[in-house]
Amino acid sequence: MLLGNEAIARAALEAGICVATAYPGTPSTEIMEALAEVGEQCGVYVEWSVNEKTAFEVAYAAAISGLRSITSMKHVGLNVAADILMSSAYAGVENGFVVVSADDPSMHSSQNEQDNRWYGLLAHLPVIEPSNAREAYKFTKLAFELSTQYKIPVILRTTTRISHTRMPILLEDDIPTQRNCKGQFKFDTSRWVLVPGNARRRKLELMKTWSAIRENEGREPLVTIFNPGIEKAIIAGGIAYSYVREALDILGYRDKVTLVKVNLPVPLPLKPVKQVLEYSSEVLVVEELDPIVEMQVKDIALTSGFKGRIIGKELVPVNYELNLETVYNAVSKFLGLETTSEKIWSSVEQVRTDPPIPPRPPVLCAGCPHRETFYILKIAATKAGLKTPVYTGDIGCYTLGFQKPFETQSTCFEMGGSIGVASGLAKVVSNPVIAVIGDSTFFHAGIPPAINAVYNDSNIVVVVLDNMTTAMTGHQPHPGTGVSATGKQTTRILPEKVLEAVGYKVYVINPMRVKESIEIVAKAFEEYRKGVKIAIVSRMKCALEVARIARRAKIVLPVYTIIQDKCTGCMACINLTACPAIMVEPGAKKPRILGELCVGCGLCASICPYKAIEIANTPSPDYEKIWVEL
Amino acid sequence: MKRVYNIAIVGVGGQGLLTLGSILGESAIHAGLDVAVAEVHGMSQRGGSVIVYVRIGEEPSPLIPIGGADLMISMELLEAARYTQYLNKNSILVTNDFIWPPPLAKYPSRETIITALREKIPELYIYDANKVSSEITGSIISANIALLGFSLGVNEELRNLIGLENVVKALEETFRGRVLELNKKLLYKSFEDGVKIAEEKRSTR
Ligand SMILES: Cc1ncc(C[n+]2csc(CCOP(=O)(O)OP(=O)(O)O)c2C)c(N)n1
Repeated sequence: MLLGNEAIARAALEAGICVATAYPGTPSTEIMEALAEVGEQCGVYVEWSVNEKTAFEVAYAAAISGLRSITSMKHVGLNVAADILMSSAYAGVENGFVVVSADDPSMHSSQNEQDNRWYGLLAHLPVIEPSNAREAYKFTKLAFELSTQYKIPVILRTTTRISHTRMPILLEDDIPTQRNCKGQFKFDTSRWVLVPGNARRRKLELMKTWSAIRENEGREPLVTIFNPGIEKAIIAGGIAYSYVREALDILGYRDKVTLVKVNLPVPLPLKPVKQVLEYSSEVLVVEELDPIVEMQVKDIALTSGFKGRIIGKELVPVNYELNLETVYNAVSKFLGLETTSEKIWSSVEQVRTDPPIPPRPPVLCAGCPHRETFYILKIAATKAGLKTPVYTGDIGCYTLGFQKPFETQSTCFEMGGSIGVASGLAKVVSNPVIAVIGDSTFFHAGIPPAINAVYNDSNIVVVVLDNMTTAMTGHQPHPGTGVSATGKQTTRILPEKVLEAVGYKVYVINPMRVKESIEIVAKAFEEYRKGVKIAIVSRMKCALEVARIARRAKIVLPVYTIIQDKCTGCMACINLTACPAIMVEPGAKKPRILGELCVGCGLCASICPYKAIEIANTPSPDYEKIWVEL
Repeated sequence: MKRVYNIAIVGVGGQGLLTLGSILGESAIHAGLDVAVAEVHGMSQRGGSVIVYVRIGEEPSPLIPIGGADLMISMELLEAARYTQYLNKNSILVTNDFIWPPPLAKYPSRETIITALREKIPELYIYDANKVSSEITGSIISANIALLGFSLGVNEELRNLIGLENVVKALEETFRGRVLELNKKLLYKSFEDGVKIAEEKRSTR
């Protein structure tokens, strides 16, 4: 049983890749995690790159040197790599190169739900899209073949429900044991140097390839037609096919419509579509998010004089991910049936309680270092007299600091945005402006705007939350950890060194020492008020990592408890930390710490005005070390 | 057999829902069945509300429709209540007897929740999986396995579908050494508890 992402990794190994690169991002991350685990043993070079643009470039370099390679990223990652994506289409490749774009319809873990099939249309590159996790395996291999054949990059587009669904998968091939991974760079300025004269010639080449794919690739399994020749036809792309198939089964209509399964949505092959339009007069196009296939079907219909009806987004939602109900309802309506999803699955509906079931948004974990830093920033800002500071925010676990009681993330747009937006805000508003960014995000896209702020004399504070990992996406290493994707020691690059080099006065704090850190930060804020360019690096390891290390090394972390006699029930501990390990039972007057969840960061104990929170066990003597050292 | 057997697993990110989903998936494979397990990664794993969909049947699409769950296994009471719309009047709900409120939230009491659940769901089973897990393994971390064992005990359809022996095989692929032994012990103990409770329920009817 493999996760869709693991299936992609396995297929890439079977396809003979030599290089695999990525920057983590949900739902793409497990592709590279799987490859990082076994890559070395298989002779494949694997890296976590600093960002998607670099990841793309590194893998592309292999592909222009005659080696197969893969790069994977989440949908918004392709925005970061879009510049090289566009150029790579012009220059092409010398061996199979697959760009995995894992999209996130419904925004389970993302700031938007862009449909990256558009990138295929924009760059004139083919997009292959599997219909379920199992097919991710087969179509990854096909993507390599297509890329090798046409000498251009191929985009493999998955969505959350393909990347993150496990299915049993029958493996077809072995992973090659012999692999020649010595690349050869063939000097050819007419191809690799895209000055306008060369680019003009390459554009024509690209468009020839594009047309050839449109003409010739309308074959199985890229496009499959079931039951041709029926009046009503349904064209379903990617994951939508899985829902359509199941809906037709339930309706008993599997054999009563022409069903077209599209796994090459871009460019949509002409022949099979023309063939369907010849016999069918009513066509429903079902696809998730934007009407990419629908648009192309309509285009083909128009040029081939089709007289029937093509329906798509009138019946199929354009927003959020599809599911069996939405597709069932669309298909049922298209077929002129009365039935709706409510009739076959009659829900008992959500129970009602008083008070109602409270929402449970994600929260900072018990012991999360970001909680300590946020608390310190707020207290220090007040101490230093900073009035209503704007905390420009960024993307990572720490984004959760937008909530009460912290409110130390006033914006969150895209990676690196905290510092760039701070740079601009400082020019136009009178509030103090504090950019708060994670360590991995700092290396990804935070350095150029940090330079911009100094160069253009923007009066901001930069705070780097260094938890020594990329926590949000599942703890990948980054340049600040000095460890590579495969666990090798490499050069550790410290954010404070970078910031110092570009002109900041930097303070490094250990936020476990709450009082001391407040003093340092308050002083730094005072200097900032006088115009000094200040950066603060707050270094304390991710609590999930700490708990894992402690478990393995058998180090006992403190577990705190609230001494009921000393506790006055003021609730400061819970109101100021919102720690999930502290709870108040219904009707209780005093809070209680859930021992199983407490990892012993000690923030609540240092906040308690009555010194009512104490260590309940005997921790190992050096436990603090694992919180602050690599 | 139904075309697709739907199991929704709900709880709080970090409670071992993915492990439970994957064990159910592996068990189904050992029973010779096709299966799809749709997981949740990323943001909501940080203590958020999580639902994992396990669909056993031929080439299932990934998501369970509203009202379509045959069984729901809940690791926490508030989450059981949050996701009841996935149930129909014939569904079985097995929930951990544990409330873990979100920080700073106002929430209904255990009794309020249970009364509300009971009104809608005849086949409701409440099991103190945290306690059983603590007794056998020394921590609540294996409460997911206890709920799985208990569900197999109370739910004959699931038992016939995937088989206890295949669940044991899946455990053997997931854990090693002492952890495996403890989890097996826990599985059998909770399974027996389930069988017993189901019998009691039947005889009082
Ligand atoms: C362009 C882009 N790539 C990747 C992601 C996915 N992503 C979200 S947060 C994050 C990293 C956060 O790491 P860090 O800044 O160290 O903060 P932490 O989560 O550790 O607090 C990543 C990679 C994204 N949102 N956008």
